[in-house]
Amino acid sequence: MKARVLLVEDQEDNRRIVRDLLTSAGYELIEAVTGEDGVRLAEAEHPDLILMDIQLPGMDGYEATRRIRQTPGLTTTPIIAVTSYALSGDEMKALAAGCTAYVAKPFSPRALLATVRACLGSP
Amino acid sequence: MIDRIVRLVARVPATVHAKLLTAFLLIAVLLIALGAVGLRALIEVNRHAEELVTLQRKIAAYRQLQHDTTGQLYSVASALIVPDERTFEATLRQLNQFGYDLDRLRFVARDELELFGRARADYERFIEVVTHVVELLRGGRVAEGRELQLSQAGPLADRLERLTNELVNKAEADMVVSVESAQAAYVRSRWIVIGFAIGTIGLALVLGYAISWSLIGPVRQMEARLARIAAGDFAGRVAVANRDELGTLAANLNRMSGELGRLYEQLEAASRHKSQFLANMSHELRTPLNAILGYAELIQDGIYGEVPEKIRDILTRVQVGGRHLLGLINDVLDLSKIEAGQLKLAVSDYSLREVVHTVFTAMEPLAAEKSLNLTIALPPEPPTGRGDERRITQVLLNLVGNAIKFTEAGEVRIEAVARDNEFEVAVADTGPGIALADQERIFEEFHQADSSTTKTKSGTGLGLAIARRIVVLHGGRIWVESEVGHGATFRFTLPRRAHPDGALPETA
Repeated sequence: MKARVLLVEDQEDNRRIVRDLLTSAGYELIEAVTGEDGVRLAEAEHPDLILMDIQLPGMDGYEATRRIRQTPGLTTTPIIAVTSYALSGDEMKALAAGCTAYVAKPFSPRALLATVRACLGSP
Repeated sequence: MIDRIVRLVARVPATVHAKLLTAFLLIAVLLIALGAVGLRALIEVNRHAEELVTLQRKIAAYRQLQHDTTGQLYSVASALIVPDERTFEATLRQLNQFGYDLDRLRFVARDELELFGRARADYERFIEVVTHVVELLRGGRVAEGRELQLSQAGPLADRLERLTNELVNKAEADMVVSVESAQAAYVRSRWIVIGFAIGTIGLALVLGYAISWSLIGPVRQMEARLARIAAGDFAGRVAVANRDELGTLAANLNRMSGELGRLYEQLEAASRHKSQFLANMSHELRTPLNAILGYAELIQDGIYGEVPEKIRDILTRVQVGGRHLLGLINDVLDLSKIEAGQLKLAVSDYSLREVVHTVFTAMEPLAAEKSLNLTIALPPEPPTGRGDERRITQVLLNLVGNAIKFTEAGEVRIEAVARDNEFEVAVADTGPGIALADQERIFEEFHQADSSTTKTKSGTGLGLAIARRIVVLHGGRIWVESEVGHGATFRFTLPRRAHPDGALPETA
């Protein structure tokens, strides 16, 4: 069975790049545009891994991560934070909020795939 | 009390010029008055001295009179004993002499006119008697002469003697009184002069103190305020009560301070807006650029199907161009954040060895492209450092990137040494070197060493400025050692343990 990845990302292009990258690598992708959607989908779908953009309109990635971590069954799910280069120190805050790893924007698709594989193993 | 006088002088609504002139004039008037009082005392003392001299003369004259009276009696007596012509002549001469004395006394004995009048009357009588006695003796009527001498001339002479004694005594008593009054006058004058002098000096001192402090006080206040303004504090005001030029100056100083404060706030706001705008703008620029780079990589990796070799090459160029553009945007963003004071160090433990190796791995292909030798010299086991690893890597990447960019042949060498409290990292190249004049300037924003190379070597000229800010934020310093034609060595130091928020003591 394919590993399922929840992507929480508000930008269309970034979603498309990750979608094309991960589906071609053999993962199943669930997409959320806002932090609230992300939390809801995580609770409903229990994905194997979550890619969490930090800069989101409304509820941000930190808050979404904290809420997901409070849900039974999601406490150990790997969450990879996608942080913005613009805000140094985000990595620490992301890890403090409960993320497992982080990828700094601008991410190279190759580097992102490598991090996902490191967390899940090849599908 | 004295402070109240100072405040009072300060509040006088007159110019400083008028106040000073008035004070000097007042002091001059006091000095003149002091002089006048002194002079008056001198005149007084002098008058007493003259009086004493007069009295002394008078006493001498009275004594002379006394002496002459006795002489006269003696002379008449001897004429009775030796009644010859010579003795008569001498007696009459003496009588005349006695008359002169009395005439002279008329001018000095002004205070004893009554006594003197009696003495004169007695004397005239005495002359008559003596003249008569002499005539009797000349006429051979010796017994009659002696009779007259005994009955009249003797008692007259006695009375004259008593009178002259009285005159002398009175003059001497006057003398004693005069000496006492001279003494008293002297003491009085002395105290008046001393008192006046003390008063004058005291008044001059108080006046000088009040005026000088009514000027110095505000000047000091304003000086302190100006020092604070120079240090960037525009909030305070000087409270100067003076209603003169200094008061106007203080009011203007307060106005200037307020105006400067307002301008400073405007400038700060403008600078913040600019930095914020740059930060926002570069973020906005990066978003589509990220998409371009991401899609290019996916295409290149064959996600969207097989890519012909020719297109693959073009895609590589798209990516190189895109990454370059991203680097420039990141530089602008970094600098604007540093300027806005938003760049905070994310301090954690790091391995210097890992930093150097990361940079080596990233830069090795670039060096290989130009056939340059990239080498590393590291201590065997450098201790763990504490700082912002990503920013330190950024600094080293920048230095090595520059070295590779400007070196056409030879090698680029990364060296690191660990000392007690700091690391020192050096990047040495065999490039063209940097002229002494440029060695400071290249660390300033938008500067490249030789503007002619700017055309062939791309770059914003911000890399070294950012590197310097990062190193300084860590509490270290960065400099270059170079000679034109002999390569360049960039060195920077990092304290082993940087302060968590990058707040560091002022570095010169």
